[in-house]
Amino acid sequence: MNRALFLHTWRAYRVRLLIVTVAIGLWGTLLPVIYDSFGAQFKQMLDSGLIPPQFAQFGGGDIFSLTGAVALGLVHPISVGLNLVFAVGFGAAAVAGERQRGTLEILLSRPLSRRTTYVTLGLAGALFIGVTVAGFLVGAYVGSGLTGRLDELGTSDLPLLWLNAVLLFGAFGAIALAMSVSFDRLSPALGISLAVVLVSYFLDVLGSLWPDAKWLQPYSLFHYLDAKAVLAGLADPRDFVVLAAVIAVAVGAALMIFPRRDLAAPS
Amino acid sequence: MMTAIDTRGLTKQYGHASPIHPGRATPAAVRALDDLTIQVQEGEIFGFLGPNGAGKSTAIRLLLGFLRPTHGTATVMGLDIARDSVGIRACVGYLPGGVSFWDGLTGVRLLDELAAMSGRPPVRRAELLDRLELDERTLRRPVRDYSRGMRQKIGIVQALQHDPELAVLDEPSEGLDPLMQRAFYEILDDLRAAGRTIFFSSHVLSEVERVCDRVAIVRQGRLVALEDVHSLLARRKRNVEIRLQGPAPNLDGVPGVSEVSSGGGRLTCRLEGDVGPFLAAIGGSAISDLTIEPARLEEAFLEFYEDERVQA
Repeated sequence: MNRALFLHTWRAYRVRLLIVTVAIGLWGTLLPVIYDSFGAQFKQMLDSGLIPPQFAQFGGGDIFSLTGAVALGLVHPISVGLNLVFAVGFGAAAVAGERQRGTLEILLSRPLSRRTTYVTLGLAGALFIGVTVAGFLVGAYVGSGLTGRLDELGTSDLPLLWLNAVLLFGAFGAIALAMSVSFDRLSPALGISLAVVLVSYFLDVLGSLWPDAKWLQPYSLFHYLDAKAVLAGLADPRDFVVLAAVIAVAVGAALMIFPRRDLAAPS
Repeated sequence: MMTAIDTRGLTKQYGHASPIHPGRATPAAVRALDDLTIQVQEGEIFGFLGPNGAGKSTAIRLLLGFLRPTHGTATVMGLDIARDSVGIRACVGYLPGGVSFWDGLTGVRLLDELAAMSGRPPVRRAELLDRLELDERTLRRPVRDYSRGMRQKIGIVQALQHDPELAVLDEPSEGLDPLMQRAFYEILDDLRAAGRTIFFSSHVLSEVERVCDRVAIVRQGRLVALEDVHSLLARRKRNVEIRLQGPAPNLDGVPGVSEVSSGGGRLTCRLEGDVGPFLAAIGGSAISDLTIEPARLEEAFLEFYEDERVQA
């Protein structure tokens, strides 16, 4: 890792990181409050048969328990979108974006190997993802405290949930960074990375809403984040292994591609 | 004296070899640099000339490890470009053509961060800022507010601030006003006096003529000339004009004289090489004025490309 490049990257993204972390923290705070205010009414609505049960268990979460509400909040499009600002946004722009702007020339003319550059940017991305996921969990913790339901949260399992979520968004980040080192322009790197996320999300949602499509869920990376089970102390180690394996493959591919590829003059 | 840059048959082909005939390139393949062999000595200012697409940037990018050669080898400051590109960049300062920066940073923050990434203290920065007239107030502004000339000055400072043994400068005076160009040439002169090597790519032939010791001219990826600037100019044909007060001197058969034309009290010709025989031939003539235009690198450069057009 190169300290100077890491600090440069940190300075370049710290304001954005603060904004996203505050936003996701507020979102995390809101979910226990919603559960506390409306959880009982939602449960009555579900029991009345007005809402199909599948709709009440979107992405492995629900709104009838605090852990379910937190799990729902973590895979809700708002939370996923905010986490992807760094997982996919930073990952895809880290190399392809610099190359498109012409600043990669200046960066790579320093005595940095491409592996060092990749590892430094990867670690910076991992830090950003870790902070935004922590922002959500801190928000959920604060919201639970504000509603007096901290004892329902399973706080001892929060670090494990943080790790699980960091591995999920880290997998998307590693894929985005692998795309970033493979393309000269930002749009294909960003487009392919977002396509992976959207297809993954679609498969998971489809499988959760339609029992006949449940077999598709293992093909989605979101399937390997079961926040409710983690908070209940029932985390499946295989979920962590699968996500870590995806990261390892993406990192390995990027480390193969980036040092070997030609970087022709920007057009 | 050490060789700062040594290339042997350096070749770069973009695209792929034919899958049917591995030795043959597919129609889409482009040979951007072909068999480049040059030696740049330590302490010299070496001009690398050619029009757009001639292979200049490809050569520079090969030397810095941005590209991998298809054939051939090269060393920079004694280090192999294929194995030691990080070591090479540790002793090189690079100014890319049309340089881009992180626009949100202030000038001083940009220079600090680039120096930190270079791993060498910016020992020349204060002097360079002073000579290029970049004051403290300017450096506190974001780079996005800089004019083209100011960006170029920052580019020059970042390339030279850590006092590299070799500076690779791609179109370095682009966007500089004449005063700053002069200041920049003086910086180059001082670097040469300090034993630093400059590899200099430019379209501005007058500045190459002004600052470079030797030049290489590339055309369609191939080296077509590699010569000392003075020797190159000495072989050029110069335009001569004589204002006469009497009959025209007989210049038939005078060594080095060609394209003689006279009339109306005026004689013009072209002169190549030693001026002695020419001066002896006009010695007895009544002459009111004599002009011998200095040979220009531009003419030499254009001649190489004129040949190309004729061949085409």
